Amino acid sequence: MNIKAGQGSLSVMPARRARLIAALAALWIVLVMVLGAGWVVLVISQARQISELQSFAGSTDSAVAAQWASTRRRVVGESAVFLLLLLAVSALLAWLYWRESRRARGMQAFFAAVTHELRTPLTSIRLQAEAIAEGDQRVELARRLLEDSNRLESQIDKTLELARIEGGGPLAEQAVPLHGWLERTTAAIAAAHGSRVELSAALDEPLAPILADAAAVQMILRNLVENSVRHAQLERVQVRVRARARGEQVVIEYRDNGAGCAVQGALLGRLFGRGVGSGGSGVGLYLVRALMQRMGGRAEFHSSPGDGFRAELYFAASREGPAP
Amino acid sequence: MNTGAHVLVVEDERNVGETLAERLQGAGYRVTLAASAARARQAWRAQAPQLTLLDVGLPDGNGFELAAELRTAVPQTAIIFLTAHGNPEERVRGLELGADDYLTKPFHFRELLLRIQNCLKRAQDLAELPGEMRGVVRIGRAHVDFERFSAEVAGVSHALTHKECAVLRLLASRVGKAVSRDEILNKAWSADEFPTSRTVDNFIVRLRKLVEPDAEEPRVIRSIRGVGYLLTEVIRE
Repeated sequence: MNIKAGQGSLSVMPARRARLIAALAALWIVLVMVLGAGWVVLVISQARQISELQSFAGSTDSAVAAQWASTRRRVVGESAVFLLLLLAVSALLAWLYWRESRRARGMQAFFAAVTHELRTPLTSIRLQAEAIAEGDQRVELARRLLEDSNRLESQIDKTLELARIEGGGPLAEQAVPLHGWLERTTAAIAAAHGSRVELSAALDEPLAPILADAAAVQMILRNLVENSVRHAQLERVQVRVRARARGEQVVIEYRDNGAGCAVQGALLGRLFGRGVGSGGSGVGLYLVRALMQRMGGRAEFHSSPGDGFRAELYFAASREGPAP
Repeated sequence: MNTGAHVLVVEDERNVGETLAERLQGAGYRVTLAASAARARQAWRAQAPQLTLLDVGLPDGNGFELAAELRTAVPQTAIIFLTAHGNPEERVRGLELGADDYLTKPFHFRELLLRIQNCLKRAQDLAELPGEMRGVVRIGRAHVDFERFSAEVAGVSHALTHKECAVLRLLASRVGKAVSRDEILNKAWSADEFPTSRTVDNFIVRLRKLVEPDAEEPRVIRSIRGVGYLLTEVIRE
C-alpha cells in the first residue's frame, strides 16, 4: 500500500502562479542587492569627496587617510548589516509564504478527504432509501441505514474534535482507573459495530490509574476499532486490548487480526496520511496520536501485511487515587 | 434492456456493494460482487463480465490501475467508474484509461441503471462487426483487431478502449470519405457524457500515435478542415 501524506488531489496554487511569485521574489532580492550596492557606492564616493575637500582645506595627508579609513569601515559595516537584515527579512517572508501555501494545500486535502468520507455513507443511505421508497421492507436495509448514519456521525465527531484539538481546546485530565472502566468502554464500542467486531479486554493486576481525559481515551479506542473494521478486510475482526504496567507508565496494547498493510508505523497517524485507495480521511489515527501527545503520552503504530494492526498507547500512571 | 447481462461490481464499502448488487439483481442482471482488486481479478478470470462497475478507492489497489488491467484481460467489458472523488482531473484520467462512463457518488440508482443500459448497448453495437471488419485489418502501421479491442504496433500489443474502437471503426467503415466531428460524437458518445468537438480531437491525437508512421505529419487519419476526419487506408489481412 502506498502512502499519500499531505497531498491533495487539487492544487491550491496553479504552477503558473507559483512561477510568477518565484520570479517576483527573485526580482525583489536582486533589486535589494542592487539598491544596497548603489547605496554603498554613493556613500563611499561622498566620503571620498569629503576627504578630498578636507585635503584642500589644509588637513594633513595622514589625518585625511585616517578619516577616510574610519569612514570606509563604518560604511562597509553598516552596509553589510543592512544587506543581511534585508536578506533575512526576505527569507522570513518567503518561509512564511511557503508555510501558508503548505497549510492551505493540507486544508484542501483534508476537506477533499472528509468530503469523500461523507459521500460514501451518503451513497449507501440513498441506495437504501430508494429501495425502501420502491417498497423493499427488509430489516437489513434499516440495519445498513443505521450503520451508515453512525458512520456519518462518527466522521463529524472526528472532524469537530480535530478542529478543537488543533485550536488548542482543553482536555480534562484526571486519574482514570482502568479496572472496570476499560472493559465497559471497549464492550460498548464493540457493540456499536454489532457482529463485525469480536473484542476482548484484559488488564494486569495491580494497575495504577492513568492520568488522562476519559472522553479522549474513549475517542482513541473508538477510532482504533473503526480503523480495524474499515481496513481489516474481514467479515468479523478480532480485537484484543490489554493494559499493563511498564515502569512509570501504563500501556494499553491494541491488536487486530486484520490484513495489515505495508506502511511504516511512523507514517500511520500523520494527518492526511493514508493508504492510496484505502478510503478513510486519515483523521482517525492522527487524532489518536494528537490526543495521546496532549495527555503527555504517546502512541505507536505497527502494521505489516498479514500481521494485522497493532497500537501501543503509553499513559503516565497517576500517583493519585481513583477519581471519585 | 440488456437484462441478464453479467455485471461485476468492484466495491469495498460493504453496504454500498451489497445494496448495489441486490438492486441490480432486482433489475434482472447477473451480478458478481468483489470487495477488493484481488477478488475482482478472480471474478473476471472465472467469468468475463459484460460490464464492470469499478470503485476507484480499493483496499489493495487503485481502481485506475485495475481498469487498465481489466481492459487488457477482458477487452470487451464496458467499465463504469463509481467514485466519491468528482474532480475533473480524475474523471479525465478514468475516461482516458478506457472507462466508458464515470459516475460520482452519491448517485441515483435509476441514473446508474440508465448509464449501464447505454454502455451495454454501445458495447453490443461494437460487438456486432460487419464482415469486412472481422479478423485483423491494417490501418497505417497498426494491425487492428476490432474483435479483441487491440492494436499491434511494431510487435507491441496495445489495448484499445471501447471509444477508441468505436471512433476507428466509424472512420474505417467510411474509408476515403470525410466523417464529421458531430457524427463521431453521436455514434461513439452518449448524450449524457457532455462531450465536445475537442474530445474527438483528443481521441484522434491518441489514435494517430498508434497508426501514423509520423504523428506530427498525419497521412493515415487526415484532418478535413471545417468538417472532421478522413481515414485514407484500411487493408484486410
